[in-house]
Amino acid sequence: MNVMSDHLTKTLNQVRNELLAGLSDADREAYLHLVDWLRKTDVASHALQVGDTAPDFLLPDAHGRLHSSEHLRGEGPLVVSFYRGGWCPFCNAELRALQAVKAELDSLKANLVVLSPETRDLPRQLKRQLNLDLTMLADVDHGVAISYGVLFRVPEETKAHYAGQGYDFGQRHGSTEWMLPIPATFVIDQAGIVRGAFVEPDFTIRQEPSDILNNVRRLAGSQAEDVSASDE
Amino acid sequence: MELHQVRYFLALANTLNFTRAAEMCNVTQPALTKGVQKLEQELGGQLIYRERQLTHLTDLGKEVLPMLKRALASTEAVRRRAREFQQKEVAPLAIGLAPSISASLVLETIAEIRKFVPGLHVELREEPPSRLVELLLEGDINVALAGDLDDKPERIDDWALFEERYVAVLAPSHELADLPAIGMEALREATILDLINCDVAPKFQHLLFPDAPPHHNHRSSQDLHLQHLAAAGFGIILAPEHMPRLPTLKALPIEGDPVRREVRLLAVQGRRYSPALDAFVKVARLRDWSLYTRSPLQTERHSHLEATGMSA
Repeated sequence: MNVMSDHLTKTLNQVRNELLAGLSDADREAYLHLVDWLRKTDVASHALQVGDTAPDFLLPDAHGRLHSSEHLRGEGPLVVSFYRGGWCPFCNAELRALQAVKAELDSLKANLVVLSPETRDLPRQLKRQLNLDLTMLADVDHGVAISYGVLFRVPEETKAHYAGQGYDFGQRHGSTEWMLPIPATFVIDQAGIVRGAFVEPDFTIRQEPSDILNNVRRLAGSQAEDVSASDE
Repeated sequence: MELHQVRYFLALANTLNFTRAAEMCNVTQPALTKGVQKLEQELGGQLIYRERQLTHLTDLGKEVLPMLKRALASTEAVRRRAREFQQKEVAPLAIGLAPSISASLVLETIAEIRKFVPGLHVELREEPPSRLVELLLEGDINVALAGDLDDKPERIDDWALFEERYVAVLAPSHELADLPAIGMEALREATILDLINCDVAPKFQHLLFPDAPPHHNHRSSQDLHLQHLAAAGFGIILAPEHMPRLPTLKALPIEGDPVRREVRLLAVQGRRYSPALDAFVKVARLRDWSLYTRSPLQTERHSHLEATGMSA
């Protein structure tokens, strides 16, 4: 199992480095500018922290089926991972890495959901394109990102950069405003309390799936102990 | 941004008065001011002009207001759903449909939200698009589905759900029924069954019959009556592709698909969303509508709808 986790960690890091190395000068400049802006405005400081109560949500998946957070954390830990959208190569690398640990999360009775603000057929397309078997939820109108404290308004320079590349986030999100979540991963226990929070303003750095698994294992273990203690 | 900062700003936008906004949010005025200032720092500009007699929203404030209202409404709808669920409250949802929109379009969406909103009471109302907009603004309906809209007030949010073409619906015994597609000339010669108060009629006139009106020998205000007339060989109906049809009818494309339209979802901007409405809008903006526009035109879905008592 550890070998598999190491392999996945290495792969996610490798992909990140490859993607960074392949950035054009303009992309690199835009990337550094946005990360600098996110750090300066301290956007990540608003995010939920370990011990906070995670607000509940009810969101449609890529096929228009609804999922409630109460139900998702009904039998075990819930992993909630925010990604920016199908246009972001770092997000796609993360989604693939998460897909690779899905079976293990299943075996720990943990549910994993990945959220982005993208609407219409975009989550469906991405699911098909990356061949994912993940519950991809659409955070329509950013209600969950805002309540988890990871939402920010895309600054004008960044907006101009992405618009120049042909991306229209307003259209992708069905909104007049350009808002994005900071990619973040939360592990939530059955009572709805945040037990793991990874929020990194540098959007190229994501939580390693092996670390997520460790969080979930610890939580699954302690919840199993709670159950056996209450049975006694 | 933080949820409470957004709440403070929305209260301020609503009251344009710092004292009243602070009271609404149950905080001190300095706390409210500080929260709004932090939000302004993050959004990169002032949201409110602070003048003694003339507190008002800046352009940036006006720009971000609708989106922040939606985000907050969405989080509140989830909390209210939990309460409704516990207290077994009735959850009304009034959906307006333009005459060219079949109720069959919203069935699966309603079925999905009913799983999570057990007190759901649905009302379906059919009205012309302009009347639907009025009903939305008056609060008599919560959401609407319509095709092309001539004039849409700014206060109405709308999202394109899917694009579809218009097809020719006719009896299999009709002289044109064996063609792979119906040409414009043939259509201009044929008898077209006229749907009274059809919201798409001006578009037909413009695109299909620019020089002379079609041969309208027979008419009805009910689509189902027209379908019976068509099935009996009285003429051709021009119908949106999604519209369910009697099993005795067939649909043919019009050459070049000259008439197309977008089906749109309408709701009032900035209004508080009930849990049922919130779920409806979200599911509608995600679901796969291509099921309704795929060929072949004569699908099993229509006979299924007939069997369950649904009609156009």
